Amino acid sequence: MNDVVSTNGLTKNYGRIQAVNHLTFSIPQNSVFGILGPNGSGKTTTLGMMLNVVRPSSGSYLWFGEEPNEKSLQKIGSILESPSFYPYLSAVDNLRIIAEIKHNGYHNIDEVLKITGIFDRRHSAFRTYSLGMKQRLALAAALLSDPSVLILDEPTNGLDPKGIAEIRIIIKTIAQQGKTIILASHMLDEVQKVCSHFSVLNKGQLIFTGRINEVNEEQIIEISSDDVHQLHEALQKFTGILKMETEGNIILVALPSKVQVSELSRFIFARNIAITHLVNRKKSLESQFLEILNEKA
Amino acid sequence: MRRIIHIELIKIRSNATFWILTSLHAGIILLVLLSIKFFLRSLSLEGHMISRIADPAAIPVYQFPDIWQNIAYIAAYLKFILAIYVIISITNELAYNTLRQNIMNGLSIKDFIGSKLVLVFLLSLASTVFLFFSGLVIGILNTPELRLHDMIKYSGFIPAYFLLLTAYLIFALMIGLWIKRTGLAMGLLFLYTLFVEPLVVFRIGSEWVKGLFPLKAFNNLVHMPFGKYILREIQDYVAVKDILIVLFYCALFLYFIYLLLRRRDL
Repeated sequence: MNDVVSTNGLTKNYGRIQAVNHLTFSIPQNSVFGILGPNGSGKTTTLGMMLNVVRPSSGSYLWFGEEPNEKSLQKIGSILESPSFYPYLSAVDNLRIIAEIKHNGYHNIDEVLKITGIFDRRHSAFRTYSLGMKQRLALAAALLSDPSVLILDEPTNGLDPKGIAEIRIIIKTIAQQGKTIILASHMLDEVQKVCSHFSVLNKGQLIFTGRINEVNEEQIIEISSDDVHQLHEALQKFTGILKMETEGNIILVALPSKVQVSELSRFIFARNIAITHLVNRKKSLESQFLEILNEKA
Repeated sequence: MRRIIHIELIKIRSNATFWILTSLHAGIILLVLLSIKFFLRSLSLEGHMISRIADPAAIPVYQFPDIWQNIAYIAAYLKFILAIYVIISITNELAYNTLRQNIMNGLSIKDFIGSKLVLVFLLSLASTVFLFFSGLVIGILNTPELRLHDMIKYSGFIPAYFLLLTAYLIFALMIGLWIKRTGLAMGLLFLYTLFVEPLVVFRIGSEWVKGLFPLKAFNNLVHMPFGKYILREIQDYVAVKDILIVLFYCALFLYFIYLLLRRRDL
């Protein structure tokens, strides 16, 4: 599989502050790639460098295996931070300017306005839009040239829950069309729901990169019975338990993903303990993310 | 080329500030041109004499061939109105982050500079065409005996006005991009135009050295014509040396603009 973009030692200093520190990673084609990181971790700076608007202090990057140029950027739809348009122009005029820049023609302006749900307000000036509508126009602009790569930096900022759900559906639909999506966010939940790959940045350093399911190597199971002590003793004899904790009268057991839950329950039954509560709690990206951050801090 | 013209046209088409400032510019040019005659007549009525020989009201300011240099010289003072729009246009691109978004969308830095040059040429050309037709009409109405030779003579000051305006607007473009803030950029432009350079130039003796300063060089394209009415010798032609200096400054400013955009985080 070809890489859409690859970076090599990308670094950005602002005076003495190192915003991005020797970043080397690549993004495979047709992936939905999440870039996670707390505020100020260098997500936007990294994307800015890849989009030719932030000058790297050192390091380089390649788009589609080539030295970056404006042609490669024309194949990318991007939103960086807040939506940026000419406030006195209508949505249609703003999109016309982008269509001119991308050598695209005006034919699909109506279509992207319909997809993002702002077609009815297409002739109003951008400054009259609510934040949610501005975000939608930004997404419409990113979709305009039917790009093979989409870069979305916090695309659901300022949207209501309904809007967030709609944008998520749009992103998933686009991903199914075989496009590559790079999604920077601090909303873990968002990344987990749509991404196939992700990387974690902290203080400008890449501290993790991989597939979403690669990190799901543990599962956590909640078990309870009438006699918690007896259950606890019994569980200590079960091989393969990574960790065990008691929360009130519920015992949390961490197991490798490959261990079947049925194995555990059969084991307990064999010791004549009746289970009153059993839940397989899949480890959320959020807890993994916090763990990754803590490990590397 | 067509693409960058389109981009800039979409931006200005529904921009109220553009239409207000360009109409203001045209209106004031016309007003000032028409009021010269009234001004001279009032001088005459009050008994002032520009020299012992001439009655101010009899000065042929509106007659071919003198009119071309007269109106080009006077209209050049009003270039600041268009410079205001150029500064607003470039600083807005920075304030709205649209420059950044356009580069991200695949506009090259050279194309961006090109689109702003389209704006500069459009403003200069519109102003020049307007001045030319104003001059033509006023000249025809005021010249007692029309001769083609007189109408063409000195009309070279009209393209000189175009070059002067273009150079000044590129200068404004550079200041706006460099300073980033609208008010500050306008303040600096006026401070430099009205005080800094005139004061420096004033302290220099040699006309030749004076002419090396950018704004002085721009203004040298159209020398003050009125001295001839009190029988002083004036420069009634556009000097090649001045054209070359102005072109050199245009190239220098554009290169500086390019470097700014190349090196700066947008």
